[in-house]
Amino acid sequence: MALIKRTPTTGRTETHERKQDRDCAGLQARLDDPSSEARRWAARDLVNCPDSSGALVNRLRMEMDPSVREVIFTTLTHLGDSTAVAGLVEFMRSEDVSLRNEAIEAMKQLPDAVAPIMRDLLTDESSDMRIFAVNILESLRHPDVELWLREVIERDPHINVCATAVDLLGEVGSHDALRSLEQLKARFAGQAYIKFAADLAIKRIQED
Amino acid sequence: MKKILIIDDAATVRMYHRNILTEAGYHVEEAINGLEGLEKVLQQSFDLFLVDVNMPKLDGYGFLRELRQLDVPQSPAIVISTEATESDRQRAYVAGANMYMVKPIQPDQLLAPIALLLGI
Amino acid sequence: MTLDSISEEDFHKFREFFYRKTGIQFEPSKRYFVDKRLLERMEATGNHLFRSYFTMLRFQASGEELQILTNLMTVNETYFFREEYQFKCLVSSILPKLVENRRDQGPLRIWVLPSSSGEEPYSIAIYLLERWAAINHYDVEIIASDIDTQILAQARRGLYSNRSVAQLPKPYLDKYFTQTPEGHQICEDLRGAVEFTRVNLSDPADTRPYRNFDVVFCRNLLIYFDDLSRKAAAETFYDSLKPGGYICLGHSESMSRISSLYKIVKFPEAIVYQKPSEPQK
Repeated sequence: MALIKRTPTTGRTETHERKQDRDCAGLQARLDDPSSEARRWAARDLVNCPDSSGALVNRLRMEMDPSVREVIFTTLTHLGDSTAVAGLVEFMRSEDVSLRNEAIEAMKQLPDAVAPIMRDLLTDESSDMRIFAVNILESLRHPDVELWLREVIERDPHINVCATAVDLLGEVGSHDALRSLEQLKARFAGQAYIKFAADLAIKRIQED
Repeated sequence: MKKILIIDDAATVRMYHRNILTEAGYHVEEAINGLEGLEKVLQQSFDLFLVDVNMPKLDGYGFLRELRQLDVPQSPAIVISTEATESDRQRAYVAGANMYMVKPIQPDQLLAPIALLLGI
Repeated sequence: MTLDSISEEDFHKFREFFYRKTGIQFEPSKRYFVDKRLLERMEATGNHLFRSYFTMLRFQASGEELQILTNLMTVNETYFFREEYQFKCLVSSILPKLVENRRDQGPLRIWVLPSSSGEEPYSIAIYLLERWAAINHYDVEIIASDIDTQILAQARRGLYSNRSVAQLPKPYLDKYFTQTPEGHQICEDLRGAVEFTRVNLSDPADTRPYRNFDVVFCRNLLIYFDDLSRKAAAETFYDSLKPGGYICLGHSESMSRISSLYKIVKFPEAIVYQKPSEPQK
């Protein structure tokens, strides 16, 4: 029979585990290892090192390998401290589309860390940042979400920021949001998408 | 019936475009990001793609770059973006888009270019 | 307490939310199935209005209710030859591709998670022996892992109910099992062919030794995870695979919602995911 049984450890090729330095300083140094596999494992293991967000953010600024980037983002999300969040906000401004989107996805998982800065993000100079901020609200479990969304559709001058906010209001909005939605339609009269999304939100709220 | 794939992470945007297109007689499928879009492309053939830019996992440009390398019908693609700069437009064309449009789009603004690209 | 019933609009809202969170989609025909479970949870959590239950579901920081609901919504049974099309894919498409340009002299290695009570890894073993023409030319190692030590013990024992073996073609049942008063006992050869190990997929210390696999089967496990754990698991599997190795998920699961590291590969039998052979740019 050609089915064989061996123990899992016999499958290892391990050149990267010669020195089992799992200490945090060692792991941070391994973030610059020439091997992407070593960097990935270092990034993964750093989840147990609470002060490593800074080192991870630094590495992410120059990391070109997508598999390492992805693991760094996962670890940063697990750590979720203010250094991690500040780094994520920085990457939201990046020209690199995938870096931006991964940062947004990470932020969506960090309601407690993101909530204090959400208002700042929602009033950022860049309309793109404001759109991303509203995107983050989509998965944010936080009691002020409806309030923020209403503020956006009442005050934001940019149509796409408002458009992004409207759909979410349909899901989380209460009757308090109805007036703001009608006002939005009036403000962007003639814009078919705004009318569509606002009417959908109104309908959903009213059916509750 | 011509088949169009809408790729966008926002459900309402997909719905909006879907309504316009189905009313105009097109068959519509949806994907929520570029990776899901690629999975659909591997399973069915499409006559046209409507592609958002900012999506998690795989963005619109990434989707197009992959699509243009696959051995599948190389149908036309319209990129739909919130950004209106010339460099974004160029980026889209380099990735493999045939057309670039800025959101939000009025129904007639959408249908005419699609008919053009489909040779209808 | 009288429960509110679920309106059409509520079902629609819930369906969209659940789909976005888990990738699991409900056909309209599953209305009864979904409603029943929603009402069950509404009662259990003391929400007689769907609206308040839904708000709790969305905003609960721990995500515990969503997890409970997800567990309820997914069908948990395991049996021999479940989702057989993927085993077919293994022998008809994946293994032939793997051996095509293979220079490695070692065995082909398959990792199965969760092992659960063993139906899946033993199914793979049977499939390899019965349906892979080239089995006589290659050694294959099957490792099956689970976090639950009790279920691992059950898997090693290899005793199964009628329900569990119902999908097996009778010739295989006769060949590989013995009927006993306690149930269908799988033969010694197969028990000896699968290594069962305890692993917590979310613990890097546990998963570190698991490397150089050619194929990973992880079906209907990740749906129980939250988004971040799911992503971390996909990254762990990436490092457990050899370059060019494949991973198969459950039929309602897709890597497109989890990780962008893998290449999507369409075989005639199934869509599977591949770790790139070369480092990606």
